[in-house]
Amino acid sequence: MSRALGWLMLAAALAIPQVSGSSAWLTFWITTLLFAYLGQAWNVLAGYGGQFSFGHAAFFGTGAYIAAILQVRYGVNPWIAGLGGVAGGGIVGAAIGWVSFRYGLRGSYFALVTLAFAEVFRVLANAVAITGGGQGLLIPLKPGVEHFQFVDRASFYYLLVALVVSGVLIARWLEASRFGAWLVAVRENEDAARALGIRVFRVKLAAIALSAAMAGTAGVVYAQLFLYLDAGVAYGGHVSVEALLGPIVGGLGTALGPVVGAILLHGLGEAAKGVVGATPGLNLVLYGVVLVIMLRFLPNGVVGWLKRWGQR
Amino acid sequence: MTKTLNRRAVLAGATAVAGTIAAPAIVGAQQAPIRIGLLHPVTGALAREGSQCREGALLAIEHINAAGGIKSLGGARIEAVLADAQSRPEAGAAEVDKLHEAGVVAIQGPFASGIALATTQAAARHNLAHLVDVGVVDTIVTRGLSNTFRFGPGFGAITRAALDNLVRLNDGAGKPVQTVMVIHEDSAFGSGMARLMNEELPKRGFQVVETIGHPSPQRDFTNIALRVRQARPDLLIPSNYLNEFILMARTLQQQRISVKGIYAVLGGAASNIRFVREHNEAAQHIMDCNHWYDPRKPQSQAFAAGLAAKSIDLTYETMLNYANMQVLADALERAASRDRARVIEALASSTFNDHIMPYGPTKFENGQNTGAQAVNTQIIGQRIEVIFPAAFASATPVFPVPSRG
Repeated sequence: MSRALGWLMLAAALAIPQVSGSSAWLTFWITTLLFAYLGQAWNVLAGYGGQFSFGHAAFFGTGAYIAAILQVRYGVNPWIAGLGGVAGGGIVGAAIGWVSFRYGLRGSYFALVTLAFAEVFRVLANAVAITGGGQGLLIPLKPGVEHFQFVDRASFYYLLVALVVSGVLIARWLEASRFGAWLVAVRENEDAARALGIRVFRVKLAAIALSAAMAGTAGVVYAQLFLYLDAGVAYGGHVSVEALLGPIVGGLGTALGPVVGAILLHGLGEAAKGVVGATPGLNLVLYGVVLVIMLRFLPNGVVGWLKRWGQR
Repeated sequence: MTKTLNRRAVLAGATAVAGTIAAPAIVGAQQAPIRIGLLHPVTGALAREGSQCREGALLAIEHINAAGGIKSLGGARIEAVLADAQSRPEAGAAEVDKLHEAGVVAIQGPFASGIALATTQAAARHNLAHLVDVGVVDTIVTRGLSNTFRFGPGFGAITRAALDNLVRLNDGAGKPVQTVMVIHEDSAFGSGMARLMNEELPKRGFQVVETIGHPSPQRDFTNIALRVRQARPDLLIPSNYLNEFILMARTLQQQRISVKGIYAVLGGAASNIRFVREHNEAAQHIMDCNHWYDPRKPQSQAFAAGLAAKSIDLTYETMLNYANMQVLADALERAASRDRARVIEALASSTFNDHIMPYGPTKFENGQNTGAQAVNTQIIGQRIEVIFPAAFASATPVFPVPSRG
């Protein structure tokens, strides 16, 4: 059922730029896929590993800032700078994970620590000179593949489709691999997992590093897409919320959940704008109401509901 | 050969004459409206400022349409296509694509510098003229984007005016100010201003005793007020948005903190009539170097009356957006075309003078209007008075301000 849904979604995704030449439509999909991938990053840690982070902005922002700083301040090629961003995101994730898991922080305590780290990073990015402080960093506009700035927006779109597919494959690997089984065991009962000989600390550390590197990748793509970063954009609370909302709505701990969730949430946001027209803020009210209703009646997310429905 | 007039010839002639006379009106009525994108942050952290921007632009469109629309395009009316940047750069950039598809010929907005950096670039992809209404960061117009124009002054021009006028003010009063404290919000606007103040004030003989940054929103200024009391500066220079500015001023008043002056640079509330009306005591004698209109111009009076009729506060956001729309309408008039490239050319060659700002004729160099300048205002009683430059001054400055003791 979900495999068929996955293939169907991939076919539809590849057809989108051919079907419609609308740049607004393409921008909608680019943004949606970017946050779908960020949601998948969060899903790896929270959905499969049961470690709920409220601060994925820390990894997203670090990836974005490292990529931007390397190219703006040190003239590094944007592709190589991007790899630096991915690695930087992963390292920050591992460092936060080491501190948190070493001292046995779980559940809401872990969530609060990640939130605090994201906020500290936001304040730091505002204060230090290398990030441009409050003025932010502007990546020079140099259209060209060699500068990681595609003239054709569809190229960005396909890049994001590839990223989202890679994210789904990572989730699938988690479902099928030994490491994934360890991770799920840790999620279900940490003490029981330890009793079975699973090295809980290592598993959680690897999961947060992987998740953070993925979030860092999303940050790198964001930086190349919009070419401007400031502390609020990179480390803002809305980034962390976007990261967790998609998987929760779509289906926590499922490979397609974050993708379905991001499409539903962004589609709902756009539809709400269309319904209420120009009245400022009313679309957000409608968005919120529908979201509450969805969470009330679909506690396992849309993919969870589809799975249950398919089993009947 | 002679032609005699018969009844049929007279009727045909009369019809032709009537047709010729009526043609512009009929063509005007039939002309499709010219769509302009108004892109502002009307939700999110900057919703109030964004809404004020929108109101100013809409009022200008109303006035332009009432005066006959764009005459070179057969009296075509301007139609606003409203877009919400949601106070986020990526949301603003996404809206640009939608405006492009809605068939707009130009975009005006989006208030904040951070959003403008993203939207101008997105508009450049569609060769769409983008008039930046307020965003003051200088990099907006230094990236070589030929579609980007800023009618108002940027950081450089504003801070130059602010510093020059501060020195003039201080010298005129016998140099009562020697120490300064900078309080700023920590995004692009406030931080940039704080950095500049820290670089420039010592060169002019002022000592910066402390610089305090705060986020937007910030809901408590007690600690900042205590630090002001401790540092005892002669002058406070705040750079923050409306709500934070009001809260800061109220806290300083409640804590009875007395300084020789509060001299805002692009202060969020220091040139806001709502602040004067609702927090009059806290607002007294606060000075600001900001965007402000020339109230003596006839167009300005129509603008102010239009705002008053709609019960909209007279703020610099409304002024700049009204004026930007005037500039855009003039460019459309001269371009006599809806072609985007022609509109960009017309804006680049603009020498428009019938606007409400105290700038003189427009002259864009690399997209920046070189004649744009900020003015100094001071809240005196129930009014916001212009105190510098002398050519536009409506009052003499009260400085140093009376103690709150």
